[in-house]
Amino acid sequence: MIELDTIKPYFEGKEDVLGEILGRYPDYGRRSAIMPLLWEVQRAERHVSEARLEEIAHIVGVHATEVKGVMSFYSTYHEQPVGKYHLQICSTLSCSLAGSDEMFDFISEETGLVNGETDGSGIFSLQKVECLGSCGTAPVLQVNDTYYERVTRSSCKELLDALRSGEMLEPPRERGGDNEGAEKPKIGSEQRVGREA
Amino acid sequence: MKVKVNDVELDLEPGTSAIDAVFAAGYDVPYFCSQEYMSPIGACRMCLGKVGAPRKDRETNDWIRDAETGEPQIFYFPNLMATCTTAIMDGMVIDTLSKEVRQAQSGMMEFHLINHPLDCPVCDKGGACELQDRAYEYGAGTSRFEFDKRHQEKHHALSELITLDRERCIHCKRCVRYFEEVPGDEVLDFIERGGHTYIGTVDEGLPSYFTGNITDICPVGALLDATSRFRGRNWEYDHTRTVSLDDASGAAIMVDARTGRIERVKGARNTQVNLDWIDDSTRFGHEYVDAPDRLKTPLIRKGALLEPASWEEAAQFIASRLAVAGKRVGVAVRSDATLEEGVAAKALAEHLRGHAEHFPRPAASVIAENPATFTDVATSDAIFVVGDPTEEVPTLDLRIKDALRGVAPPELLAHGVPIADLRLKERMPRKRSILTVAAPYRTNLMRHAGQELIYPAGQEEDLFGGVGSGKAGASLAAEQLNQLKSALSDAKKPVIILGAFVLASAAATRAAEALAESVGAKVMKLGPMANSYGLEALEVTSDGGYADLLTQSDVLILSNLNPAQDVQIGERLRNLDLLIVHDSFETETTGLAHVVLPAKTGYEKEGTVVNLEGRFLNVYPAPVDSGTSEDFIGVVRTLGEALGVRLDGRSVRSARRSLAKTLNHDLAALPEEGLLAPVDAKEIGETVADTVAGNLLLTSSLLKVDRLRRNPKLRAAHGDVALRVNPADAEAQNLEAGANVTVNIGGVARSATIKITEDAPEGLMLLPATFDQALGLTSAEIVPAADLVSA
Amino acid sequence: MTTIAEKPQLISSRKDAQFEVTLYKNVGVEGAHTLETYLEGGGYKAAKKALTTMTPEAVVDEVKRSGLRGRGGAGFPTGLKWSFMPKPDGRQRFIVCNADESEPGSFKDRYLMEDDPHQLLEGMVIAGYAIGATKGVLYVRGEYYKSYERLREALAEATAGGYLGKGLFGSEFDFEIILHRGAGAYICGEETSLMNSFEGLRANPRLKPPFPAQAGVYGLPTTINNVESFASAVHIIAKGADWYASMGTDDSKGTKLYQVSGPAAKPGVYELPMGATFRELIFELAGGPTEPIKALIPGGSSTPMLAFNDETLDTPMDYGSIAKKGSMLGTGGVILIPQEKCIVNATWNLVRFYAHESCGKCTPCREGISGWMTKMYQKLVSGRGEAGDVELIEIMSRNIKGKAFCPLADACLGPVQSSLALFRDEYEHLAEHGTPKYTKTNWWSA
Ligand SMILES: Cc1cc2nc3c(=O)[nH]c(=O)nc-3n(C[C@H](O)[C@H](O)[C@H](O)COP(=O)(O)O)c2cc1C
Ligand code: SF4
Ligand code: FES
Repeated sequence: MIELDTIKPYFEGKEDVLGEILGRYPDYGRRSAIMPLLWEVQRAERHVSEARLEEIAHIVGVHATEVKGVMSFYSTYHEQPVGKYHLQICSTLSCSLAGSDEMFDFISEETGLVNGETDGSGIFSLQKVECLGSCGTAPVLQVNDTYYERVTRSSCKELLDALRSGEMLEPPRERGGDNEGAEKPKIGSEQRVGREA
Repeated sequence: MKVKVNDVELDLEPGTSAIDAVFAAGYDVPYFCSQEYMSPIGACRMCLGKVGAPRKDRETNDWIRDAETGEPQIFYFPNLMATCTTAIMDGMVIDTLSKEVRQAQSGMMEFHLINHPLDCPVCDKGGACELQDRAYEYGAGTSRFEFDKRHQEKHHALSELITLDRERCIHCKRCVRYFEEVPGDEVLDFIERGGHTYIGTVDEGLPSYFTGNITDICPVGALLDATSRFRGRNWEYDHTRTVSLDDASGAAIMVDARTGRIERVKGARNTQVNLDWIDDSTRFGHEYVDAPDRLKTPLIRKGALLEPASWEEAAQFIASRLAVAGKRVGVAVRSDATLEEGVAAKALAEHLRGHAEHFPRPAASVIAENPATFTDVATSDAIFVVGDPTEEVPTLDLRIKDALRGVAPPELLAHGVPIADLRLKERMPRKRSILTVAAPYRTNLMRHAGQELIYPAGQEEDLFGGVGSGKAGASLAAEQLNQLKSALSDAKKPVIILGAFVLASAAATRAAEALAESVGAKVMKLGPMANSYGLEALEVTSDGGYADLLTQSDVLILSNLNPAQDVQIGERLRNLDLLIVHDSFETETTGLAHVVLPAKTGYEKEGTVVNLEGRFLNVYPAPVDSGTSEDFIGVVRTLGEALGVRLDGRSVRSARRSLAKTLNHDLAALPEEGLLAPVDAKEIGETVADTVAGNLLLTSSLLKVDRLRRNPKLRAAHGDVALRVNPADAEAQNLEAGANVTVNIGGVARSATIKITEDAPEGLMLLPATFDQALGLTSAEIVPAADLVSA
Repeated sequence: MTTIAEKPQLISSRKDAQFEVTLYKNVGVEGAHTLETYLEGGGYKAAKKALTTMTPEAVVDEVKRSGLRGRGGAGFPTGLKWSFMPKPDGRQRFIVCNADESEPGSFKDRYLMEDDPHQLLEGMVIAGYAIGATKGVLYVRGEYYKSYERLREALAEATAGGYLGKGLFGSEFDFEIILHRGAGAYICGEETSLMNSFEGLRANPRLKPPFPAQAGVYGLPTTINNVESFASAVHIIAKGADWYASMGTDDSKGTKLYQVSGPAAKPGVYELPMGATFRELIFELAGGPTEPIKALIPGGSSTPMLAFNDETLDTPMDYGSIAKKGSMLGTGGVILIPQEKCIVNATWNLVRFYAHESCGKCTPCREGISGWMTKMYQKLVSGRGEAGDVELIEIMSRNIKGKAFCPLADACLGPVQSSLALFRDEYEHLAEHGTPKYTKTNWWSA
């Protein structure tokens, strides 16, 4: 077992965050907090270490093995830190038919990464993922929690360059289908939102 | 309900699973994930059958009938069904023989085998493997899978005691379910998902006392007992089904021996006692039997030295010494001696006009007035425990957890215990509220209790008084105790369980019995050892008790006892006319003896014990090479010969003849479940004065401290004997976690490792007692081991 | 093999007089996700109507009469499902929204949540009232972070505005919603896996019975529906069951969100009355294919693919008609498979998906799909195939079909068995030559 005392517990001093998460669920459903607690840690630390896992187990009142069993079941929790920008390329059929395999190769070349890898400086991680629910606006590239849809060679390049310089682009709002006729939002790919630290 | 399996018609209770119907009909289907006493989950998909049932017309409420035959028409489910998770319906038809079904089973068998290494020739499970057997019976014989098999870790130590071969795992989930459903310690789980799923833990060393059972239920060679790994093949073992003498439960075990050595102990089934489960100490605690320093021949004192001798020489020596010795003779056996040994001890004492006694023996009787059985506990709706069953009688810990699931033990079917009891579910809610656990410290079982009561040690009488009267008592609030009393009074089947701390006080036990009577509860008393009940019933007892025997005798004959562990007693024993010690190992007491006789261990004896329910159980000897060791019957036989008398108890048969007269039971070849025949309760004595002050509590321990040194695997898994100290006390006394100390209790010096834990209350240290130490409150002095060296 | 057919006939569409876009009307509209805009468009009126003028039984009855069938894939009648709840007995009950949308080819729920979260919340209020549940659970797949954020904002707004919380619309009814985020596991779309996942357990499916109505979330009575089902309920209550039932076909009522992906001019989500044809969806609304097409998957990746021909194109997209063709309406996610795409490769892509998403509980799926089927396809697509491989895939499919614990394994067999039936020549070609019959690889536009 990891000695927790050697590492500052994640939720120490974050009683309000912890209280909010635990408060979502009824008393008899305390275990339900496992997933949101994992999310909370992962969003801050880009992975969930074994010490955090034990901390969560302790909070919820179960054995650490239980938390590990849950966490490892899902594709999007990571035991190892991912890069600052986690590039996730949907590779399922509709995206594949829109060129996601080629897009993957392109990004792989651009970043020098193979599937599942993180670069030495911790900027990029590259990962093929399964259907992201953007089949109508394929191919899709998910960067951390943001979807970039209908990615073309040029927009992909533009995005990677921006990310390299620490900028997240505002994704164009892609819908397709019945909303074609609706008034289009006036946000284009040129528009950038705040520089990240 | 009427069901038809192939061509056999049966009438079964509603709720029975289809797989049990198949077995009850005398047919077979393969299965891997189902396991007796655990929830059916339908994961392996081996038990497929073609299942159909008649349907009723909604309008007429009559069966829809076949137009031609007029018989109710059978509507088959569109898919084959997993019979383990299908409940029978009236008129159900189950087919397990058709080509379609056989093909499905062999297809599923093929899937099971594609990633299995098929390394049976080097696998410990070979010859006793469900996968191997089923593959022969139901497999196609060849595999069409031509790819590399999944490679995973092969010799993964889940703990010091259990090795996991992940490649052999077939994901039946028995082990994972076991931990959740039986002991409730969820220390093992599936990790990852899909084809990557494997079992694992991040709780180091599998922190549970009941881990070994997973090696019994694993259908393949994935989970193996690390103590027996690579020691032998299954067909080379002699299997002896017997009873564990490690505690008072009478749990059934299977002792597997080869070339005179015990290689492993497994759980055996007693549907009334331990079901299929045993604790880790019972399973892994056998290594001492084969310890190199085992006494294998009698020793006779020649001056300062003990020298090897034959039994005849030893007996002659004793006979000659008896002739000149003083007349006050004491004979004492340890409380795991069999009834037959008890008869022998009594006969010997009688012949020598002395007294017979057994030890340890609590102040109060271990025979209850309105006794509860394990089944009573498992079906109780209000349980009040005072003590620490996990450590005292581990089987009881699991049976209490059965009660929390709220499902009564299953009725047996034609083929025995149901394979798929549909009343059991994964992650059943537990009725914690029915369980109240009281003890002077935080016990393991309290994690599962609705209410935990921690009271000052020694105040058991007050505690029961408080519950009985509804007034505050033993430093506990009246409200809590009142609530408990009404829970007990309102319950249909309340049970009160009295552990060692209660039985240590006659007054407390009396108060407990009074409470039980007032609320109509049955009582279970946790006697200290395997045959405490039987030896008390047989009256292997003397008026003055063991303490008097030790001080008032000229001649002492002791079996498996080591009173000289206490140096003050040792000084007295030095002056005896004759000290005969029957034991398996050298002890402080054998060091003072005139004659030492090698003793059989509990695995080597034949005889009978009575468990804490009053259940008579036969004990059978495993073929273990223990030199010329004998049980106490052998001692009495040889002595009798030297003295020229034919004593009762000179053989198992003669002992049983005598027992048939005193106890009215023929004890030869009892049924496997034993004979439940509680004897009448005794008047509670007043032999020992209650101790009410002290800084140390001697507790019972599932890990037998006297044997720990010779049980290296168990010791590696659970560590050395721990002195548990509250953090505040540790700080005040400057005790560091992990430090080795000597604990001086009267004349007994014990070494222990400091463990700092909130489980110990402030002002009270906890130390597991040896066989020769009375449980309960005492005073101790802690000396750091370093000081001892420099002194 | 038919490729692009001639200009199709228009049966009905949003231009149809009696049909208007309802579920999808706010999607793509700037700011539509706010409470303010939702209210402007008449939002929460249906909930108010239900809670203040109807009994729960009447709501259930209305939904029953509307003929709404679950939009999560199986098409179980929604009103009937609601009526399965046991009589109230004081225990907490739950209404659960299945927003785990992960079936390849399905992406309708995402837009509904991102752009019109209040519509979903309103649907849950109505359903909660109907079944007597004071707690709702909204389980959103982990990747849909935008949906999650939008829903979180919407929950806060709705709570502040009194549309969630105690005594809604002056009635006695209290209702709150727990928003729970998944973390990437398709199996969590299966209702009992979702419940395990929500409870903080490994998301393996549970045994049924007991069904959710008896023992669902935390072992308590539960009803679970898809996002689109809830959204539909809003309009059924607002405009009445008769209005709803007037649209669609005999066994399939109302409108449905169909999705088109693959090479079409205008892929995306289209709302159509049930029973509109594939032809109308693909040609009239989605602008027609941009490449020759050989097959279509009618309702999400698990539904058996159909040959792209007139017969298929003229098939009404309703439960019965597609079933008659040997497939399923599923989620209504239509995937076009171009002529030039190697069918074995396309199927391999989906097999890989199911293999990745197998939960590992049962043997046929874990070993059969995850362990073996993927290897067979890998072998074929990498050009190492040999005689007998295609037959072996068929035999394995038969050994898996109908024998797994939950429908996921059979879902994988949808594309496998249908592609084998339709394009066996491509399989044989690949096995024989080591190279696919169709070799196009670059599908990425400039
Ligand atoms: C493997 C599997 C995945 C599923 N995924 C989803 C899903 O993502 N979303 C959904 O609404 N239903 C999904 N379902 C169907 C649900 O189990 C359930 O039938 C549905 O949520 C019921 O809602 P409805 O009656 O409104 O359709 C899935 C079923 C299976 C077997
Ligand atoms: S078919 Fe079996 S292994 Fe696959 S997802 Fe369902 S239960 Fe899990
Ligand atoms: S599915 Fe494993 S025994 Fe029935």
